[in-house]
Amino acid sequence: MEPARGSLVGRTALEKTIVHITDTQADPEFTFERPANMLPSRTMLGVPLLREGTLIGVMSLGHPVVKPLDSKQIELAATFADQAVIAIENVRLFNEVQARTRELSQSVEELRALGDVTQAVNSTLDLETVLSTIVAKAVQLSGTEAGTIYTFDETTQKFELRSTYGMDDALIAAIRKRHIRIGGDPGIGQAAAKRAPMQIPDLRNEPSELLEDVVRAGFRALLIVPLLGPNQIVGALVVRRKKPGEFPKSTIDLLETFADQSVLAIQNARLFREIEEKGRELAEASKHKSQFLANMSHELRTPLNAILGYTELILDSIYGEMPEKARAVLERLQANGKHLLGLINDVLDLSKIEAGQLTLSLDDYSLSDVVHGVVSAVEPLAAEKRLVFKAEVEPNLPSGHGDGRRLSQVLLNLVGNAIKFTDTGEVAIRASATNGAFTVAVCDTGPGISASDQAKIFEEFQQADSSITREKGGTGLGLSIAKRIIEMHGGRIWVESEPGKGSTFYFTVPVRAEAQAGQS
Amino acid sequence: MSKRILVVEDQEDNRRILRDLLTSANFEVIEAADGETGLAAAAAHRPDPILMDIQLPGLDGYEATRRDAVLRAIPIIAVTSYGLAGDADKAHAAGCDDYISKPYSPDSCWRKFREYLCPADEVIGMRR
Repeated sequence: MEPARGSLVGRTALEKTIVHITDTQADPEFTFERPANMLPSRTMLGVPLLREGTLIGVMSLGHPVVKPLDSKQIELAATFADQAVIAIENVRLFNEVQARTRELSQSVEELRALGDVTQAVNSTLDLETVLSTIVAKAVQLSGTEAGTIYTFDETTQKFELRSTYGMDDALIAAIRKRHIRIGGDPGIGQAAAKRAPMQIPDLRNEPSELLEDVVRAGFRALLIVPLLGPNQIVGALVVRRKKPGEFPKSTIDLLETFADQSVLAIQNARLFREIEEKGRELAEASKHKSQFLANMSHELRTPLNAILGYTELILDSIYGEMPEKARAVLERLQANGKHLLGLINDVLDLSKIEAGQLTLSLDDYSLSDVVHGVVSAVEPLAAEKRLVFKAEVEPNLPSGHGDGRRLSQVLLNLVGNAIKFTDTGEVAIRASATNGAFTVAVCDTGPGISASDQAKIFEEFQQADSSITREKGGTGLGLSIAKRIIEMHGGRIWVESEPGKGSTFYFTVPVRAEAQAGQS
Repeated sequence: MSKRILVVEDQEDNRRILRDLLTSANFEVIEAADGETGLAAAAAHRPDPILMDIQLPGLDGYEATRRDAVLRAIPIIAVTSYGLAGDADKAHAAGCDDYISKPYSPDSCWRKFREYLCPADEVIGMRR
């Protein structure tokens, strides 16, 4: 109603002051035609309802007979009008607060949903779980009834349905049958081609054979957000609504965020799968390598056994007496054969350790016996190089429990190395027991080992200097095998050395060793 | 009196080394290249002891040992592959009395045999 002077309300609104008409019939300006259901008024009072000077309404009072109001009555009416303004203002504020609360709770809900989605992306590598969380939240927050996430298959160049929400089996089956390609159907195909969100506010205006299943299921509006990887299309997120109409920008923004999260999840899952596959391949290759080494060294050893066996029988004169010259050559043959056998055994040991096939056979042993066994085995070597060779074993050592044969192997390796690398001076073995652990030290007056080489020598195929291999022989496997054997006993092996000042190799093992993890 | 030893071993050289070693010490050596033949030879000749390779074609050493009550009464020394996990335990579980692990030198074999061939002092005297 446009305010006009012809009515009381209009005149009050225009003047924004109290209007008092003592007799409407005597007022030449009053032209208001009252509706039939309204009682006739002769005397009228109009009071503007003003909020901070702005007109928000008019209160009108009327009397069927001429009866002017006195100033007290007018003042009372003005007070009522003020009350009315306050009441209206309260309602308006209340509505405003409610609207803001609704908006806020929507935002809170969106944030919570995003939180859920982010958590799903970060906490599980199970792609199905993540995508079903995303599609459910997307539908709930976009005011739609159904949604789907598709992934794009690079090889077939088709979108495959991956996760759905609010869709019946018939619709899912129908969509699965469709071949959706980039640039293909007016929905996903177009959005993917443009690499931008796309909406169809009313499917009835977009007659397409590809979308008719969706229409038949009762949907009218679609919003499609492509899932964009750095260089390629990863898939698409689609929500469907039964009510036609445009989707607000806020919804599109929200779904784009969800789309980003989906891309992340899909890529994480893909990377994880690739890493898993690579890991499997590597493990397989490593197993084959270890198996090959084990087989090969076994095969090499069989003929070598025969060579060494016959040589020994010949030297034992089982086939008759040997001329002295031939005997000397046979002894060289035997020494070299034993060396070769040692190398082959090292390779076999290491491949077994790597394949997890080497196990300790735990039994009681005497450390003193281990030390003395090693001493008698290597004494001739030390004597040949004119080295002082001593063994100091603490008296009354407790009986040990572990693999005595393997510990002998370790000690033999350490002492053998010490003799090999020491040209003058001495090699000493010291064995003691403290706090439930044996400590064995092998000291030499050899060339010593630099700090950087100390870190490497326990690794496979590492000698401090590769020229050493040529000069001194050895596979460079002995120390790494020793390390594994000591670790399998739950012990530790290390070296203390300084170039020019000799080296001391130590190992400690529990007096009573138990099988360590990693042993079968 | 010469003792009779059965060698069950599929590898010809290994068999011959043991044969040459043992015959040089005046033992009678019976040879078998597989478990089945070994069983038959043991039943026919009642050797003492038996040297048995563990990896044999067809019927393996364990099977051969487990199967026969007569065999179980004869000391059996298993010849096991070097360091294979649990081989020694398997040999014992199969009823073998002792084992020698490959690679063995004839000398180390000799030391082991002596435990089973004693107290025939003359036998020890024959070697070297």
